[in-house]
Amino acid sequence: MTENNNNDNTEAGTGGPERVLGTPSSEAEESVVSSASTEAEHEGPYPASETHAHPEEVQRRGEKIASLWFVIAFLGGIGFLVSYFLFPPNAEDVPAIADPQIGQYSNMLLGGTLTIALFGIGAGMTVWARSVMPHYEVASPYDELPSSEEEKSSFGAFFMKGADESGFTRRPLMRRTLIAAMLPLGLAPIVLLRDTGPLPGDKLKNTAWENGVRMVVEGTHRFIKAEDLENSPNGMITALPFVPHGDGHGEGEEGEYTEEDFHLSLNEKAKSVIMLIKMPDGDFKSGMNEVVETVDGEERTRLNWTHNGIVAYSKICTHVGCPAALYERTTHRILCPCHQSTFDASNAAEVVFGPAHRPLPQLPIGVDDEGYLIATGDFPEAPGPTFWDYAKD
Amino acid sequence: MSKTTQAPKALRGVGNFIDDRFHLAKTGEKNLRKVFPNHWSFMLGEIALYSFIILLVTGVFLTLWFKPSMAEIVYDGSYERLQGVEMSEAYASTLYIDFDVRGGFLVRQIHHWAALIFVASLVVHMLRVFFTGAFRKPREINWLIGVGIFTIAIVEGLFGYSLPDDLPSGMGVRILQGVIMALPLVGTYISMFLFGGEFPGDVIITRLYMLHILLLPALLLALIVAHFMILWHQKHTQYPGTGKTNKTVVGTPMFPGFAVKAGGFFFFTFAVSAGLAGFVQVNPIHLFGPFTPTSITSGLQPDWYMGFLEGSLRIFPNTFDLSPFGYAIPTAVLVPGLGVMGLLFGGLAVWPFLEAWITGDRRAHNVADRPRNAPVRTALGVAGVTAYGVMWLAGSNDILSETFSIDLYLTTYIFRASIIVGPIIAFIVTKRICLGLQRRDRDTLEHGYESGVIQQLPSGEFIEVHKESSQDTVDALLSKPTITSTVLEEEVDDKGVESPHKRKPMGRLRRALAHWYTKDNVSFEGVEPHSGHHLHHSAEEKESAVH
Amino acid sequence: MKWITARRRHPLAGYVVVILALALFGVGYAALAPTTDQAQAQTLAADAPSPEDVDVAEGRKIFDQTCATCHNYDGSGMRTEDGRVIGPDLREVGPAAVDFQVSTGRMPSANPDAQMPRKPMAMSEEDLVNLIAYYNAEIREGRSGADIPYDVPDTAPQRDEFSVNRADFDSEEEYHEAVEEAEAEYEAALEEYEAEYEAYIAGAEDTEMGMKLYLTNCAHCHSWSGGGGALTDGRWAPEIRDASPREIYEAMVSGPGAMPMFADTVIEPDEKQELISYVKTLQDEPNAGGVFDLARVGQVAEGFISWTIGLALIIACAIWITAKQRAHD
Repeated sequence: MTENNNNDNTEAGTGGPERVLGTPSSEAEESVVSSASTEAEHEGPYPASETHAHPEEVQRRGEKIASLWFVIAFLGGIGFLVSYFLFPPNAEDVPAIADPQIGQYSNMLLGGTLTIALFGIGAGMTVWARSVMPHYEVASPYDELPSSEEEKSSFGAFFMKGADESGFTRRPLMRRTLIAAMLPLGLAPIVLLRDTGPLPGDKLKNTAWENGVRMVVEGTHRFIKAEDLENSPNGMITALPFVPHGDGHGEGEEGEYTEEDFHLSLNEKAKSVIMLIKMPDGDFKSGMNEVVETVDGEERTRLNWTHNGIVAYSKICTHVGCPAALYERTTHRILCPCHQSTFDASNAAEVVFGPAHRPLPQLPIGVDDEGYLIATGDFPEAPGPTFWDYAKD
Repeated sequence: MSKTTQAPKALRGVGNFIDDRFHLAKTGEKNLRKVFPNHWSFMLGEIALYSFIILLVTGVFLTLWFKPSMAEIVYDGSYERLQGVEMSEAYASTLYIDFDVRGGFLVRQIHHWAALIFVASLVVHMLRVFFTGAFRKPREINWLIGVGIFTIAIVEGLFGYSLPDDLPSGMGVRILQGVIMALPLVGTYISMFLFGGEFPGDVIITRLYMLHILLLPALLLALIVAHFMILWHQKHTQYPGTGKTNKTVVGTPMFPGFAVKAGGFFFFTFAVSAGLAGFVQVNPIHLFGPFTPTSITSGLQPDWYMGFLEGSLRIFPNTFDLSPFGYAIPTAVLVPGLGVMGLLFGGLAVWPFLEAWITGDRRAHNVADRPRNAPVRTALGVAGVTAYGVMWLAGSNDILSETFSIDLYLTTYIFRASIIVGPIIAFIVTKRICLGLQRRDRDTLEHGYESGVIQQLPSGEFIEVHKESSQDTVDALLSKPTITSTVLEEEVDDKGVESPHKRKPMGRLRRALAHWYTKDNVSFEGVEPHSGHHLHHSAEEKESAVH
Repeated sequence: MKWITARRRHPLAGYVVVILALALFGVGYAALAPTTDQAQAQTLAADAPSPEDVDVAEGRKIFDQTCATCHNYDGSGMRTEDGRVIGPDLREVGPAAVDFQVSTGRMPSANPDAQMPRKPMAMSEEDLVNLIAYYNAEIREGRSGADIPYDVPDTAPQRDEFSVNRADFDSEEEYHEAVEEAEAEYEAALEEYEAEYEAYIAGAEDTEMGMKLYLTNCAHCHSWSGGGGALTDGRWAPEIRDASPREIYEAMVSGPGAMPMFADTVIEPDEKQELISYVKTLQDEPNAGGVFDLARVGQVAEGFISWTIGLALIIACAIWITAKQRAHD
């Protein structure tokens, strides 16, 4: 605004005054006046003083440029239609958009031609508005916003008379009962939402893990043995509980487990997924000596929940539930990639950095007769995002 | 010039047909004569409007194939790489749009780019309105509606992002659920009701779909229509200048000038979205893979408009978490997840009224403030933008850490410090700059502008020749309002008694705020345009310009 | 300068300056930003080299010269007096670890304290074979650590590996013949490699398994695209676009740096093949959404583009539409 100073005659030695776009100069005003010599016969919708028409040659040039843009847009539009039919959606032996490379060509052709078509129209219209149409500087009044006192009091009197006459203000019994009648209906929508879901109950606190449940590597559907991790002194793997359908002996031929048996619902996965970490000898820290339960009068620590240096933690971050899986074997940190809560795997998954409220719950594990890793119980507290009563039974 | 004064017969026929039924001739003409100030910053809101239209159009196209179902299927479609993979029908149908529908990929990408641009344009539009004081009376209601549109747009975007059920989008829902769960007492209940059971359940996408394509767009549309009608009725604000007053607006009339410009602008907006969609891959869900609650990727991010929340979740420490009687109140989730959102939208909504309360200003304003002329407001705005920016950057701290090889934890500490220090510095610096600009304005008014021509005086002194500013500039500069507050003026009432309100804490707070809001300003009082030395100005004058 | 002075008050001058500044910033960043080293290790997927082909004595020489400074002559590693590790004990890491570290150019390393980025291999392929032979013969303790997965394809052969030296030939003709021969040899080797690579990738059939394994065990550090990610203390998980299948395999079994191990008993070789095939296929896939993939960084880059390109272009159009006009322009 203020930068648009009128800098006529600024330049010494450049000859004529060099003016800048956006600075109505005295000259320009003169020419408005000169064009206003035709004022008498001005036919535009707005007063001549507010209409700055362009000279005919400018308009003619503008028309040509605008038309050129429209022609380009037209060709772009045709190109778009052609591109559409260039590649079939799904066909044998011909390039189809299901192939990502062909899809890319198709996308770029369609997108490119569409862009040309749209931009052409936009540019053409802009040239039209700027070069062919006059430049308008129309002044128009803002509406007076507050109504006049007279109008206001007239309205007020009218309204109150009507309200009084209707009886709404004068008959309280009717008014109050009407309001009372509305109340239950207002609550109805909230009540109706009750069946959108079950009550939490203890669903969030129990998972599929229980004593004897075997572990499967997610993805491979293979049980995992404690000795499998022997060869990787710094190993880590994501595992899920194995909950076969039916009698637990597999429903395939010869009692083999089928694909179906390894299937676990997303809800269950979201709660029970664990990370198995093989800790090198002597790396466990004091936090693992915390007494966590008493079995037959014998105090048991977190170390009793590990097996041969293998420790299992819930993989779901206690902050807001992302899989906290970024395990660094050198520092034993488990980092959540979402908000960088960091847990110390060697020290009962204690929070060492970031926003998480509590450690990752540890799953008590052991081995069965065949050497397969099993859980020896459920998580001691609810896994996943921390909620109000996660620690209560 | 052609001299058409009478419309062609066909047009007259249609016009008469409508007018016979609606009596529109007078209103029609008045509206076609509506004037739009001619400045690009008044078109920012239009970007949002046009993006919204693009979103509606492309969104309708996408619904023709999208299946909002979480039923698990094994993919057997045309996209070869993922054949045999377990996924939800929502994800599979999105793959169908990408690889079986011609132009489907393009439209999906236009939809996504337009959404990103939609929210971005809302932000810049709001910033323009804020910094020019265009939210002041009589436009407070429209500002509130704007805040509503902004809020809903963000939620709308988050839900849309979640629909394809790909890996990052599912994680967005997971984080949402985690934040809900953190609510004391009711968290688990709300989560259970929203998800129809445990996370992820099998209904959430269906429900988000309903919200995304029906409820929220309907709300948005209603608010946008209201926003537009109010704008139409009250007319735009305008920047100060010759002939531009609180009573008169100057600019391009709707018909024919602005209609063509605005129409062209729609095509530009669409063209840019389409151009990006054609060549820049956005949200390639077919590469991410389907959602599973057990997997995650590094560098996980939400779309940009959720970035500030992601960032606040990342930098807020768990130091203030409470555990009364063994119950958990994870403030490290609640404060950044919900508090920050409340602070942002609450602050935006309250500001027009707070400012009016501080200044006691009850006048209607149609001429926009130049940001420098309201230094405290401008500085406050920049401080807010800084806080937002810090949180936004913090939302990508892992990307920053990796890209610029900075320690990940260090980035967190830096952001924790800058969220406190940054806005304060921004406030001070901005206010200084505003006052400096005011001083320069005063100089320009008095002496004209520096012409860039150096002259040597007979005395041997070199000076830069100053030229007179144009009338428009002078008028714009002269329009500088004096920042005052009626709170400070009402020292005593007309009977000479001090108002009892002033003694109360509220009154004292109000006076303190009023003082803070008005104290620093460069006075233009008594300045006559071009009254100073035309040839040069000396140091003393500069000093005297400082109030 | 006059030209600039004349135009510095132009209404568009401010925008021009901003655009120039942005461009300058962009170019500056591009110049300063670390570029990815193109990996150029070169072996074919093949069987283990036979004892006749290796020279253990030569391997000892290389070890003593390049490794022993930090890892000691017997590979037992070295520490400073206060117990800080200079070079770790190599006796139990296994040849896969040695092959991984050397072939990705991370070893020999100039700075034992810093994480090494991927670099071109510092020694020749032959030297590496000898070094590993020496390692197996003298340093490795029994069968500890993982073996090199020779049946997994390594990086493609490079043309310069087959180059001929003009000085070795008397006549121009002979030289040309040799060049052509070398070229043919290279082509053949490349073809052989590609066939092997294809076979390895195509040998994986279970995308579901490969994807699950990759996304549940790898993506949280290396990202869904294999683009890498940030770790704690300034470490990072490297991007694995340039990594050959064999290098990925070796990384899994040897656990370089902070990376945990994934032994063959936990993820079996054919399961590893599924995993490697999944990520390699993903990385090789063209971008169906357009040529610009924003380095597959994802939402941060998309947000950046939507502001700097998307919104900026639209606003530029708005400025064009509303730019002030002289009355008769």
